[in-house]
Amino acid sequence: MLGSLFSCTKTDFSFYSGPGQRPVYVDLASARMIGNEPPRPVIRGGTIVLQDSLLFQLDYGQGIHVSDVSDPANPLALTFIHIPAITAFTLDGGFLYADNWRDLVTLDITDLLQVVVLSRQENVFEPLMFPPQYSGIFECVDLSKGAVVGWEDADLIDARCQTDQ
Amino acid sequence: MQPETMMNTSASTRMILFLLFGLFTGGLFSCAKESSLVQPDVKSGSLARFVVHQGYLYSLNHHEVITFAVQADGVPLLVDRLPLDYGLETIIVYEGLVYVGARTGLYILDIAQPGKPVMLSRTERSQSLLGGCDPVVVRDSFAFSTVKIINTICGQTNVRSALLVYQVADPTAPEEVGQYDLDEPNGLGYKGDVLFVCDEGSDRVVLLDIADPRFVKLLDIEVPIEDPIDLIIHGERMVVATRTAFQFYDIQDIQDIRPLGTISK
Repeated sequence: MLGSLFSCTKTDFSFYSGPGQRPVYVDLASARMIGNEPPRPVIRGGTIVLQDSLLFQLDYGQGIHVSDVSDPANPLALTFIHIPAITAFTLDGGFLYADNWRDLVTLDITDLLQVVVLSRQENVFEPLMFPPQYSGIFECVDLSKGAVVGWEDADLIDARCQTDQ
Repeated sequence: MQPETMMNTSASTRMILFLLFGLFTGGLFSCAKESSLVQPDVKSGSLARFVVHQGYLYSLNHHEVITFAVQADGVPLLVDRLPLDYGLETIIVYEGLVYVGARTGLYILDIAQPGKPVMLSRTERSQSLLGGCDPVVVRDSFAFSTVKIINTICGQTNVRSALLVYQVADPTAPEEVGQYDLDEPNGLGYKGDVLFVCDEGSDRVVLLDIADPRFVKLLDIEVPIEDPIDLIIHGERMVVATRTAFQFYDIQDIQDIRPLGTISK
């Protein structure tokens, strides 16, 4: 099972210092802090779900932007649901299902402006251990540092990971 | 009952639903669907990694489909893990079958026993088309999937990006019936005989004629938009998600696609 975590990376790369990518972490306690925040800009936008006149847009690692699109000519940003380390979500019957680092969380979104975490299944998913859509050297993920919520360009010191060539 | 009377009944039902929705949601819903209060109309983009179908949540881990039974209180119960190859990217349900887009190809799963998906087929792509993204849409007995060039994925380097067409009349034996080069395609959707494909590489949504899925034709119509990722077709409207925003379009007349609103951040 662990093998698949690393199937896209090499960790036997000799030490490298120079430009590359490194993980952005939040500690595991912070990663569980899910809730509403004021609308904010989309940083790394992803897929969308349309539920009646509400549009939900994924922001990788960050959460879900919710807008009222009852008038498609004038969409209105309503709220941002902060879900650290999110990569996927869906909606069904007033519930929102999302990954939250390794866990699956269920949110009651009946009150969109005050979502409630209903349940959490722990350690269901395997985290991505390399920067998506990137080719090159990166700082290996250290799972003891918490949850990865994104990747950033950095001057790396003694990096040991690179994407397979 | 006269048609006119039926329409009136339906309209007043909608009005009541609308009022109820307003009470529950503080008026966020401007229109309610006929179905019922607890079943809102949900449409997902083609890049979804989670999907709920008839009380079961199907989710993608990198190498497996994890199935949850959704209980009445909304709490999911893990009931199955189906191991597949590494690199699962997207999942949809179409007419009772699950389609999984993966970096190596297309999977079709049977969910006759919804808590226990079974693999019906796995259609591998040629080496030159291994790579990421892989959203799938299905219309009748044809599946349309894009492969997007990403420099290096799991040691495999794409040499090109394309739209792939599969004949899936027999889900145990899909047959690839077409390949069409695109720059850097992403999410897709269709309205009637027209397929809309996000082409991130060329900052536009391209339109293709899929009236005959074996002979897909690129239409001389495109919708310019920066970094399109995914899209949803909803009646006469299309919403396109980008890296930093979303944009609505009126697509009633594909010869005259009009931008509507965008979200201002």
